[in-house]
Amino acid sequence: MSSPTADPIPLAARPAATPAPFPPTWALKVIMALTGSLFVAFVLFHLAGNLKVYIGAEDFNHYAEWLRHLLNPLIPGSGFLWAFRAVMVGSLVLHVYSGITLWVRGRRSRGNHPRKFIARRLSSRTMFWTGLIVLCFIIFHILDLTMGKLVAADGFDPADPYSNLIHSFSRAPVAVFYGLTMALIAFHISHGIWSVINDLGGTGKRLRSVVFIVAGVVAVVVAIGNLSIPIAVQAGILAVS
Amino acid sequence: MRLILEVWRQASPQVQGHLEAYEIDDAREEMSLLELLDRLNHQLIEADQEPVAFESDCREGICGTCGVDIDGIPHGPEDNVPACGQHVRSFNDGDTVRIEPFRAAGFSVIRDLIVDRTGLDRIIQAGGTVAVDAGTATDADALLVTHEAAEAALDFAACIGCGACISACPNGAAYLFTGAKLQHLALMPHGKMERGRRARAMITQMEHEFGPCSQIGECALACPANVPLSAIATVNKERLRALLRRKDN
Repeated sequence: MSSPTADPIPLAARPAATPAPFPPTWALKVIMALTGSLFVAFVLFHLAGNLKVYIGAEDFNHYAEWLRHLLNPLIPGSGFLWAFRAVMVGSLVLHVYSGITLWVRGRRSRGNHPRKFIARRLSSRTMFWTGLIVLCFIIFHILDLTMGKLVAADGFDPADPYSNLIHSFSRAPVAVFYGLTMALIAFHISHGIWSVINDLGGTGKRLRSVVFIVAGVVAVVVAIGNLSIPIAVQAGILAVS
Repeated sequence: MRLILEVWRQASPQVQGHLEAYEIDDAREEMSLLELLDRLNHQLIEADQEPVAFESDCREGICGTCGVDIDGIPHGPEDNVPACGQHVRSFNDGDTVRIEPFRAAGFSVIRDLIVDRTGLDRIIQAGGTVAVDAGTATDADALLVTHEAAEAALDFAACIGCGACISACPNGAAYLFTGAKLQHLALMPHGKMERGRRARAMITQMEHEFGPCSQIGECALACPANVPLSAIATVNKERLRALLRRKDN
């Protein structure tokens, strides 16, 4: 048992040596599916908002301002925005915690002989890593375009999101980083949506075929829609008037 | 035809295993992989060496006893075929073929190519049986099962419990195995009576020894019984059903 490649758990001792994991794996998977679905919905709404950049600065900025006062006067001020942010952060924490815990459990259950993927779906084998990069991107993105701190372009103006966006994407490295991340998000989303249907127990043949296609379509739409913006800025199609 | 076999040799669970290379000069295309191992063992016995320990029984794909990783693929290069049904014709003259036991933390090596698969038995013991008092035998047609339900149940009952799905899984998960059993019994009149209790018990036991599912799909490609990939979704479906229903059935 001293060597690193010998099997780690002695035959007779195994059941007692490995207590049932807590929280249960199935519960973590359901948490990932629910929070992940929320994120996919958010990304689609976010995309719809982003594409208003093509209508014009005024329209885009008006939409951004509208978001801050969503559900006024039912909920005063930016109340809804902050409640929404709290839900998103809470979901993110749960999603990342579940993801890392499941990843660790998977590595442990695999043992000393990692499986070389025989096939098949690049998106599934890279979930953990695309997830980590997307997490870094979220932090960058909020600093850049929401808070205007640290990584933001010069002359950040909270009242003028359109200009902020153009200035940020005018920086070539930022445009490239953003573009690459969108490709990774597409990968993450395509396997994510497919996982949702499995984690929530979708066993029907037709349902599974439909979700498989929807997963691919949503991923491509998100990637192309969001990618077009930094490309348009770099190409000079979008500019501060 | 000439093949180099790199075979995992490990005398006991306590010692370190290693790959050892052997040469077979007279392999024939129509040999199954198990016959290839038989051939190797003849050679070893004639040379007064210890033969390779491996499991096999029916050699016609219905017992689930055989199973080795061939070049890292459970059962061998052909999808959905057990080791006994895989043939030497998949390889070319002069190829090196790596033969290892099934790999997962839940499968410790007992000797050479034999692994301890009792973890699967413990999942079945937890609830993969029908334990309701069914009374005396009724008329055969008193309990009606539709043709569709019977066919679907048979698709999942086809699982031979070989463990290839777990060895195929990058997470060492037993979802295809457990899901197949849950789905099969959930479709049957007597199996239905314990559906909730079974889901709780089997899934808890599964999580004791095996990993989480990442919906990768390697398992269904390796499965010699062609269990549909939807079995992995059955696990969470049955568990969520038990959670919301809060009943034994």
